[in-house]
Amino acid sequence: MKRIATLLAMVLGLALAQEVHLMWSGAITGPTSDAGKYYAQGVEDYCRYANAEGLTGGLKIVCETRDDQYNNANTQRNFEEALERGDPAFLGYSTGGTLQLKPLIQEVGMTFIPASYHIGNIDPPNNDYVFLPIASYSEQVIALLEYIAKEKPGAKVALAVHPSPFGRAPVPDAKKAAAQLGIKIVEVQEMTKGLDYTATLKRFANEGVEYIVYQNVAGPVATMVKDAKRLGLNIKHAGAHYAGGPDLLRLAGDAAEGFIWVTSYYMPDEDVPAAAFVRKLGKMYQRPADTLESVHYPSGMLAAAIAIEAIKRAHKAGKPVTGDAGRAAVYQQMLGLDFDPGLAVGPVTYSKTDHVGVDKLRVLKAQGGKFVPVSEPFQSKLFRKVHYGK
Amino acid sequence: MRNVWAETGNYKTDYRQDSSIFATRLEQLSLIGFLLALFLLPLFLSRTQMFVADLIVIYALAVLGLNIITGYAGLINIGQAAFMGVGAYTAALLAPGLPFWLTIPIGGLVAALAGAVVGIPSLRIKHLYLAIATLAFQVIFEWIVGHSPLLKQGGAIPMPRVVFLGYRVGYKNHYYFWYFVALVVLILLAFAFRNLLRTRFGRALVAVRDNDRAADAMGMHPGLTKIFAFALGAFYAGVAGGLYAYFSRAVVIEDYMLPVSIKFLAMAIVGGLGSLPGSFFGPAFLVLLDLNMEDFANWMKRLGLSYAGVDIASAMRPLTFGLVIVLFLVFEPRGLANWWRLVRNYFKNWPFRY
Repeated sequence: MKRIATLLAMVLGLALAQEVHLMWSGAITGPTSDAGKYYAQGVEDYCRYANAEGLTGGLKIVCETRDDQYNNANTQRNFEEALERGDPAFLGYSTGGTLQLKPLIQEVGMTFIPASYHIGNIDPPNNDYVFLPIASYSEQVIALLEYIAKEKPGAKVALAVHPSPFGRAPVPDAKKAAAQLGIKIVEVQEMTKGLDYTATLKRFANEGVEYIVYQNVAGPVATMVKDAKRLGLNIKHAGAHYAGGPDLLRLAGDAAEGFIWVTSYYMPDEDVPAAAFVRKLGKMYQRPADTLESVHYPSGMLAAAIAIEAIKRAHKAGKPVTGDAGRAAVYQQMLGLDFDPGLAVGPVTYSKTDHVGVDKLRVLKAQGGKFVPVSEPFQSKLFRKVHYGK
Repeated sequence: MRNVWAETGNYKTDYRQDSSIFATRLEQLSLIGFLLALFLLPLFLSRTQMFVADLIVIYALAVLGLNIITGYAGLINIGQAAFMGVGAYTAALLAPGLPFWLTIPIGGLVAALAGAVVGIPSLRIKHLYLAIATLAFQVIFEWIVGHSPLLKQGGAIPMPRVVFLGYRVGYKNHYYFWYFVALVVLILLAFAFRNLLRTRFGRALVAVRDNDRAADAMGMHPGLTKIFAFALGAFYAGVAGGLYAYFSRAVVIEDYMLPVSIKFLAMAIVGGLGSLPGSFFGPAFLVLLDLNMEDFANWMKRLGLSYAGVDIASAMRPLTFGLVIVLFLVFEPRGLANWWRLVRNYFKNWPFRY
């Protein structure tokens, strides 16, 4: 009887709770949807879990995932809809969509958490309200160079980047960092979906390249890694967050063996509470195995967790959490956010001058068909120096 | 005595009447009524709905330009988004120093210049080969933007808010303001093109499309006509690009890439190639179809409708987009404009059948 009463009270409480909408707009179909669909599921599932477990401070967070098909106009329409409805924060996705929305985000003061870790999202101008969940691509690439410098001092490196702002952004910082690390960047090659990279790889080999560092998506990286194996080249491969992970293993198979990867997330098969939590949620909400294996699933969870935590804190502080005042209150909470949702290798910390949530990264290596950590969580030593000059 | 308001059918007795814009007074009146309704539309729409209305009007302008090149002049163009991008980037570079009513037409002119240059291969090649030449322009455009620090390598160039005759545009009235601007521009350019079609330059476009050798034999210059078509179509796209830049508050390369060119082609086909009203129907139909399919997909998702783990809801939008194009190509290659023609003829002849 007591159980039923408690359950009824919970259901009634949830029904009477103030509703706050939180929208995610990203690619569930179209380009990069191989990442976006899992990211969306992560947002949905964390939101359901937070509501069910009372992690919302008595609010009912209604999470809505929208498929913008990697189309900036759709992203903008979704953002406008969220703004008009009075949502206090917005979860974004692509680099282009975020860069395009920055002037509007700045004008309306909406907290914006993208899935793109492009440094330009949080660089001036119009950068006050954009918050990266984890370290930027630029920091990831520099962290890789730092690792390479330790493994092979004076190594010759080629950068293979996506032909877009997403791919190109880390290049200037990487060049500066390489100069300080004593690494030689032999070539910067832009690469999109290619069928064969024999010519590129042969050129790299002739130039004495020892490492290729990718800032790209897994598809083209897998093709190049497979071609390198086919050609029998003695070149090591390393990549930033979207270049590697289980997606790469699936696409490249055993050719990915030895791939060096940097990210802030745990692997699904690791024996740590964060991975267990992700597995638990995936099973609880009956997600298929490929969702549980994807690193984008916890990425979506982390973005949702950050927004929900800020909304919850604003509500607990007695501030409104919808409309103009709600946006301002949630932004104020974001500026002082310091918590550990247990989804990544470090806590989420933001301040007025620090718009990167999880600062820590880990280097992992593909061994026996899975990525295993080869470093403890660390923060790039050089990134702040080369990018901000401090 | 003939009552001009109660005419059924066409009673044209000379060539002057044949080249008139409106067949009947009622047609003229219905267009004025429709335009009036378009100007009153913002009274009934929310900001998000205005966003969609803006998008349709701007896309209609770009598709009208594509229709001039592909529909009227018969020159396949897969680079319309790049022409739009030329206008957008020109407007973005000039925006800090010039008002929008100068940057947008200048953007159109620069795009027209690019169009004339891209049109040069059309003097020698046509059909699929010309399509590849325009595709090459699209790729070159993307490469230049991607490697140009001046253009932020494809990253965002923010667009300033505008002030027009003392009226300051902020985020609350942004989409309303740009709706009126884009609508006025669209009406002016559509009328300009409709009038052009009545001149020898306009007739030359159609003649060259139907048979360029015959057009040549009749004293027209097929080469210049083709370059003129490219320049004019690119001008429309450039103006649309300038409007899109201000409307979206930033210029980002992704808005002017190949998939957008393909989308414009789809809009032109669905609307009706070689038809002025088709240039408006295509964008309106595909944009609204996508929105409705999104709602339908969300509804399916809420109901949890899926089969064998396949996310049917998410697949609905791309599936419908592809299906609609195929169905139109197979069953109605003249597009929505043909349906519009049939409806118009029905009312024009009413109460008679024909």
